[in-house]
Amino acid sequence: MKKKTLAKIASVAMATTLAAGTVVGLAGCGNSKTKIGVLVADASGAEALGFQNYYTKYIEKNYDVDFIYSAELDTAEEEKAAIENFITTGCKAVISFASADRPAQIQQCQDAGIYYAVATGTLSETEYNGGEVAIDPTNPAAGTKKLPAAKDFKYYVGAIGPSLDVEYKAGYDMGKWAVEQFTASTSTAKHKFALHGAGVGYRLDMHVQRTAGILTALIMEGGASFTTKGEDGSDLSVNKFFGEDAVHGILLGYLYTNGTVNIADFSSDTMELVGYHQLWDFADTTWQQNLSNVVAANPEYVLCAGSGLDVYGQATNNTNVKIADVDSFTEAYGSAMQSGKVAYLAGKYSSSVGPIFAAVLNALNGAPIRTEKNEALALGQGYWVATSYADFTKYQNADTADAPIFNKSLLDTVICNVDAETNEVTNKVSYSTFKAFVEKDRTPN
Amino acid sequence: MKTLLNKQQLKSAGIRVAGTLAIPVIVIAVLFIACAAGGKNMFPYDISFTNFIRGILTLMLTTIALSINLGSGRFDFSLGAMALLSSVIGAQIVMQTGGGAWVMLLFCLLSGAVLGAASGGLYVLLKLPPIITSLGVTLLYEGIAFAITGGANMRLLGTDTDSITNSVAIMIVFIVLFLAIIYFVFDNTKFGYNYKALKEGQKVSVNTGIKEIPNAIVCYTITGVLMSVVGFLNNTFTGTIQVSGLNFGSIGIMFGAFLPMFIGGFIGRFSNDKLGYFLAAVTMTLFSMMYSAFSLTNSVQSIISAVLLVLFLIYLSNEKLIKDIFTGKHLRDYLKRKKTPAGAEG
Amino acid sequence: MENVETAPEMPKKGMTAEKKHKIKQLLINLTPVIGLVLLLVLYLIVGGIRGINFASGFEAIINQSIVVAIVATGAIFIFTLGSFDISLGASTLVSACAGALVYMSTQNLFLMFLVCVLTAVACSLFSSVLGSVFNLPVFVTTVAMMSVLMAVAELLITSRGGNQLVASGAGAADSLWLKILLLAIFAAICIFVFSFMKTGRRQKFLGGNPVCAKLTGISLKKYAIIAFALTGLGVGIAAFLTVLRAPTVTSGTAGDVGMSIFIAIVFGGMPISGGPRSRIYAAIIGSFTITFLNQVLFFMLLGVAGADGISQIVRAIFFLAMVYLASINYRTKNLPR
Repeated sequence: MKKKTLAKIASVAMATTLAAGTVVGLAGCGNSKTKIGVLVADASGAEALGFQNYYTKYIEKNYDVDFIYSAELDTAEEEKAAIENFITTGCKAVISFASADRPAQIQQCQDAGIYYAVATGTLSETEYNGGEVAIDPTNPAAGTKKLPAAKDFKYYVGAIGPSLDVEYKAGYDMGKWAVEQFTASTSTAKHKFALHGAGVGYRLDMHVQRTAGILTALIMEGGASFTTKGEDGSDLSVNKFFGEDAVHGILLGYLYTNGTVNIADFSSDTMELVGYHQLWDFADTTWQQNLSNVVAANPEYVLCAGSGLDVYGQATNNTNVKIADVDSFTEAYGSAMQSGKVAYLAGKYSSSVGPIFAAVLNALNGAPIRTEKNEALALGQGYWVATSYADFTKYQNADTADAPIFNKSLLDTVICNVDAETNEVTNKVSYSTFKAFVEKDRTPN
Repeated sequence: MKTLLNKQQLKSAGIRVAGTLAIPVIVIAVLFIACAAGGKNMFPYDISFTNFIRGILTLMLTTIALSINLGSGRFDFSLGAMALLSSVIGAQIVMQTGGGAWVMLLFCLLSGAVLGAASGGLYVLLKLPPIITSLGVTLLYEGIAFAITGGANMRLLGTDTDSITNSVAIMIVFIVLFLAIIYFVFDNTKFGYNYKALKEGQKVSVNTGIKEIPNAIVCYTITGVLMSVVGFLNNTFTGTIQVSGLNFGSIGIMFGAFLPMFIGGFIGRFSNDKLGYFLAAVTMTLFSMMYSAFSLTNSVQSIISAVLLVLFLIYLSNEKLIKDIFTGKHLRDYLKRKKTPAGAEG
Repeated sequence: MENVETAPEMPKKGMTAEKKHKIKQLLINLTPVIGLVLLLVLYLIVGGIRGINFASGFEAIINQSIVVAIVATGAIFIFTLGSFDISLGASTLVSACAGALVYMSTQNLFLMFLVCVLTAVACSLFSSVLGSVFNLPVFVTTVAMMSVLMAVAELLITSRGGNQLVASGAGAADSLWLKILLLAIFAAICIFVFSFMKTGRRQKFLGGNPVCAKLTGISLKKYAIIAFALTGLGVGIAAFLTVLRAPTVTSGTAGDVGMSIFIAIVFGGMPISGGPRSRIYAAIIGSFTITFLNQVLFFMLLGVAGADGISQIVRAIFFLAMVYLASINYRTKNLPR
């Protein structure tokens, strides 16, 4: 091809971008819907896409809002850039699924005067209430610094979702369930199980809490013990007589320090931890070998702090190994539960992010829901747990893209009305009403 | 005279065999000793051998793919993106048609060939430095993979696509087959001779009438095919294809192939570089098995691999000097220089 | 410069044709600048139609361009030599970690700045010296360095028992003017060294014809070390600004810097082979071009499913088209390598 022709093609490619930009820009002209930015840490997972579908395909249809999604965000700087883009675009609020640096996100939105809310999670105690925190956790001499209390920020709407306590409990419940399965078994041999820490290697709080929860349950409910290092550096065997809180705390310290679990540290008369795996280096031979080792050790269950089906779905083909996981009620998990591959699933449902949208919309309408002390929301949401395909189907049918649990008629009960003529809020929603609405058990019967 | 020649031939053959096997044998010995000393087993289960073979196959193919173009001064960032996109295309077809592993492999190979050819085509068409073209191609292929799936990761569960990636026999056949094909194509065909000529002297080769453009496109096509197999094996093993790695998220796979490429090149001096890539892949995969046996963290693995790469490069770049130091020649020369008064030689 | 095709034949129809030809050549040489201006115009059009807040928009563009602009400006020296360093993103991360750790211990911004710069220069010099002393190919050395630096960063981050280092308080010093000032100072230093000192001229000579340069007594090792040191200085400043902008440092921090500088430098019209056509301002033009393009695509694709993928496809096409146009004067007869 001649150089001139190519040059023309290249020029056309650039010009097309220009023209397309203008056309698309014009097409978007006149859209007067309220824009809400959404920060996402996962753009490709089934659970994340379920939330996105609910917002963009259900909520957008039923309310006068447009959701603008960020790209997948890994770091605090990316979150900052995404919020900058939202501010530039004219977003009036931000709903965040990203957690690299939530205090910074809140501060940035507060400074810009746009509302901010956390979905599927909560702030830590210190982030919410403010207070003194160590500047350098390993060096007390560095002193402390004062964190502002997010609860008092005008533009901080609040957080609705599983708190770290709920994440811990999700792990604990899974561990307790495993102990029950072992106890109910007629086999007298030690029951083999494996652990998948998912993001423990990256010290992801959610996965660290779930893994700590699983291990705590095995200790408290199953009589196991766990060896770690005491404050003086000597071996410390942790057992149920330490009490649940102490065991939980010690295990958190172990996981945050080591970023992994050494299977030799777990001991029990009735159970055997035969494998531990974590992270998602799918194309790495060492990672693949670790995964195969876990499956080849032939555990009855792999107790996963997350991503169980992604990691073990294919690897457990033609084995009796079953997966217990914390994830979401998606189609893939349905098939896996039906085939018996997944035996336990603690999951969120797509429309569980409906209440935080309602809270944001109230704020945008000029009637933010605050606690009796005029503080931002901090409400918990639990997981649904399915241990059979029947459970799974029941839950899945209860929350579909067209008929979600938090449908318009339900959400409208906690969204204030604004008089079109006077612009006044006519039915402000009280904190107690909203709290009861969020915390009501909506598990399908 | 005849006996002398035989002796020389024998010596030469001995050097060739020793040079070919030295690195793998030494590494295997060291790793097995280390594992024995640490009470670890690199192959604790039957499946470990399957992983070992898969590791060899994927690393060997990646190394060959990297070396084909890099050896000719064409740096290609798009290896991982080709593996990703060919898998996405293959998986899409399988999920719609309900085929199994062989069907997926077929479509991965076809799409890999097309993607490779397209990458090469773009390179010869634009005549931009290959590293720049490959940056654009990487962005393009990652973006297409993301757009095809609407940004959703793909799950191959229930598609019966893991039969090849878990079959030792098939993967061994693949190793032999790909080595034989690559050996035949690059060492025994006109294309291969032209490739070598262009590699050694581009200008002279072109002036003598060798057609560089088709040669380059075929090189890229072969690279695409090889990477499609790598993508197929890795993705069908876990059953999950992650498409979220935009913005060069796919380039990591090539960095692990640098050390085996250099080791393979070194071994190739004594025998054949393709055989070298295979033996280097065996060596490096054993390292991976050792990392797993000792439960080493990713950080430690990275440091060990990087240090090995640097040490090997230092050896390669200073081979003569190192040999001279070990044989005492360096010292002798130094002393000789010291004894000789300055300017005496002139 | 081997095999460079002769420039298109000079028109023989007098001065007008000659002028036309000159204008054409000038336009081709100015492609990166024209591209940037066109994107700015498009940004204004699309932004105007979408009703964006331009004040915050331009602030965002500066914020999102500056780190890459600084690292890439320094990296021009390495590229000029016909070499490149793939570990610059990892080096920025390690320097940011070191800076954050020092700030956590001392709460002293100046010390943090100093540590960021020293760490970055040390990382850079280590690669360079390793390559020079042992005669290693620079690129492969930097591949190995990238792995080592990522692992070191991971160790530094987890040394505090978590998955992040929080230099909270450092963010208070984050200001647009500080960023612009640091970019201006660093760019001024680089322009001075590159265009007004023998260092820059010799580096261009080395990149264009290393054999000839060596024969005239120019030491590649010396100028490689200077190039890496200057790059390290840029990386250090960028690491400092990274911590100011986002005081929570994780293993993903500056993750896209390594590849973005490649794109920026090429977008800005810098030949990847280095040599006499190297342009110090290419990095700044390129990094702002990337950000404008990203912003324009973001506004264009609002609400489109799979927008990230489509955006990346458009960016790839735009990138190849622009680089093709910018380098149209420098086609070689044989395929370039």
